[in-house]
Amino acid sequence: MSFAFKLGVSVIALTASAGIALAQDASAFWAEAAKPYEGVTLHGVTESTPPSNYIKDVLAPQFEELTGIRVDIETTSWDQMYDKAIKDMEAGTGIYDMVYIEQDIVYAYLSRDFLTDTTQLLADNAALKSPSYDESQFTTFAESFRGENGHLYGIPVEAFIKPYLYRTDLFNDPEHQAAYKEKTGKDLAPATTHEDYLAIAQYFTEWGQANGGELWGTTSQSHTGHPASWYEYVETVLPTFGVYNWGIDAENNFAATVGSGGRMNSPEAKEAMRYVLQLRDLAPPESVQSTWTETATTMAAGRAAQGMIYGENAAWIASDENQSRVVGNIGVALPPMSEGVLEQAQAGEGYVGYYDGGAFGIPITSKNKEAAMLFLEFIAQDELQADWAVAGSRITNNATYEDPKVQELDGKLGGYFTMLKDQGAIFGGAPAYPFHAQLREALAPIYYQILTGQIEADAGVDQMAQKAEEELTALGYRQ
Amino acid sequence: MHSNRLGWLLLAPTMIILFFFGVVPFFYVIWVSFHQWNPFAANPNMVFNWASNYRQVVFDAQLMASLGVTFAFVFFAVVSELILGYLLAQAFMKDFPGKAFFRTIHTLPLIMAPIIVGSIWKLMTTPSIGIIPSLVQSWFGLDLNIGQSALAAFTVTVVMDIWHWTPLVTLSLIAALVSLPPDPFEQAQIDGANKRQIFWHITLPMIAPAVVATVFIRLMDALRTVDEVLMLTGGGPGSATRYIGVHIFKEVFPRTNYGYGSAISVVVLYMTIVICWLLYVGLIAPRNTKKG
Repeated sequence: MSFAFKLGVSVIALTASAGIALAQDASAFWAEAAKPYEGVTLHGVTESTPPSNYIKDVLAPQFEELTGIRVDIETTSWDQMYDKAIKDMEAGTGIYDMVYIEQDIVYAYLSRDFLTDTTQLLADNAALKSPSYDESQFTTFAESFRGENGHLYGIPVEAFIKPYLYRTDLFNDPEHQAAYKEKTGKDLAPATTHEDYLAIAQYFTEWGQANGGELWGTTSQSHTGHPASWYEYVETVLPTFGVYNWGIDAENNFAATVGSGGRMNSPEAKEAMRYVLQLRDLAPPESVQSTWTETATTMAAGRAAQGMIYGENAAWIASDENQSRVVGNIGVALPPMSEGVLEQAQAGEGYVGYYDGGAFGIPITSKNKEAAMLFLEFIAQDELQADWAVAGSRITNNATYEDPKVQELDGKLGGYFTMLKDQGAIFGGAPAYPFHAQLREALAPIYYQILTGQIEADAGVDQMAQKAEEELTALGYRQ
Repeated sequence: MHSNRLGWLLLAPTMIILFFFGVVPFFYVIWVSFHQWNPFAANPNMVFNWASNYRQVVFDAQLMASLGVTFAFVFFAVVSELILGYLLAQAFMKDFPGKAFFRTIHTLPLIMAPIIVGSIWKLMTTPSIGIIPSLVQSWFGLDLNIGQSALAAFTVTVVMDIWHWTPLVTLSLIAALVSLPPDPFEQAQIDGANKRQIFWHITLPMIAPAVVATVFIRLMDALRTVDEVLMLTGGGPGSATRYIGVHIFKEVFPRTNYGYGSAISVVVLYMTIVICWLLYVGLIAPRNTKKG
């Protein structure tokens, strides 16, 4: 046996031992820290999404095995989740120890002091602090969950952008390229302007109708009775026309109408509305019943050539053959936008689309705050992130981008994770308003009537702006 | 005296439960309805505002529209369920091969949670994917799109309700029909009465209490329909199926407009009581008076 061989074997053995020792150390921490909470059952409520289902099905059982603390995660619909969480926190019943906080509702929760200050909780309980937990491990998305004191009130569990997905098999098909060139005089490539996007949508819808009727030019989140359609307008489309923060000027007495200094009924907003209606007419018939989930399903079923799809669905559409017919045929691009919008976004004066995600927070009414904090530290560990990212196309920790599994999936996703990392900053989350649901519920009925043609687009946009000011006045935000 | 005390003692658990889960919430809703209260408003506290919420009810165009479609929904659904339920009950009174099997199958919708019923009907009616639009297209050449057509959405919600709740009516009416004595029918036949005369002058008067009780139950249920419709249409397209239950749900939960939502709830409860009272006065009271 040569010396080199012996040396190699020794190094491997030492490395393996060190690895096992470190793993045992980590396991020992969770077991030790959890001892005071033995027998506790944690209750959490979240929306049924791929990232949340991963917590329920994979991470919670792992934590239970290490600590003996039972974790019940209730995954339900988006509406029910908020209904249950808000009622619990409002009534102070303390049923839930963890609630999902979407980025757009955190400001409402903070304004009502619903959430536990996790930074302070760990500072006050040194024994709870895992050696692997550090707030700096999170991407900048975590900043959305900080309070005015700079402390973290939610541990990020998902973060994604809403990119423009397109079918590479269709866009790279020479026959389509030639036909599109002949029809429009342009090359068939992912659209960078609204006009190009419409032209591509028109082309594929016409082609679909002439060839069996199972392909349309675009997806459209146009449910005529669900707020998802209203969100598509204000958070996905309006910014690409240069209208930000729903067209409301928070610095100007929450003005919404042009007359008051807002932009909700500006010419750009009206143009955006007409664009939405045009897209809806070029989308598959099920679009009038489509929320954020169904648009992804439409894309995965191969029924649309392109679409604006929430990133949490990107991974399974592009890689899961059990659920998707377009595996390996998905490309990712920035949303089409008006001239000057990209420059404004890069200068930090606007954004090109929606950056969403959520965190798990601990209600102030929870009876098991410490045990819940342990669980949240557990799921925040870097080493758990890669598989979670693959399962739910979400990244909340900086280190996750470097993981080989994530980089491999990034290739299949047409560079979605790279876009999230490098261009995430030009996407924007929901505005920091504490009245999201209240304003949405006041305006959405008008929006649905625009979608059904009961109200003409321009008049409807005017009505929404007027109604927004009335509602904000009634809520006491607008003087 | 002793048995009276024992009776109250036995009733006590039920009355205590009813007090905390029925009476207390009822008065709490009335109390809240006299306040302006939205926890996400600039002032999240309850502010007493006298009867302002009730005044707002009268001038709320969206609420009035909701009430209009709700009454239409209740009328078509309950009347259809009553007619279909009676016909099925009569069918199940006769013997035919596989009767027990069909009776079991026919009651299956009753054991399904409304939210599941809504999901199933959504799957069946989604344009270009669901089986119902496909069949309607191939049989009648019609484009059934519940996301775009108000009439289609309204019709589908009515049909869904009929599918879900007709078995309840059937079971109630079977129980009533089974308990009818045979003598009046035999005498009517001997006297030469035809089927229509027997139905109008014997069957219907004798099962009237059961019919009215069933109508009361279905009326109250239909007036507060939420889950199925919320899942199927979300109240759309536009406000076409924003029935009063859906309207209250959206006002109270997503919009967290607790004060105004409570006022609407109280008004709707009052209206339900009035409608039931009118039905009672119109259908049962005259019969009792005649007897008296």
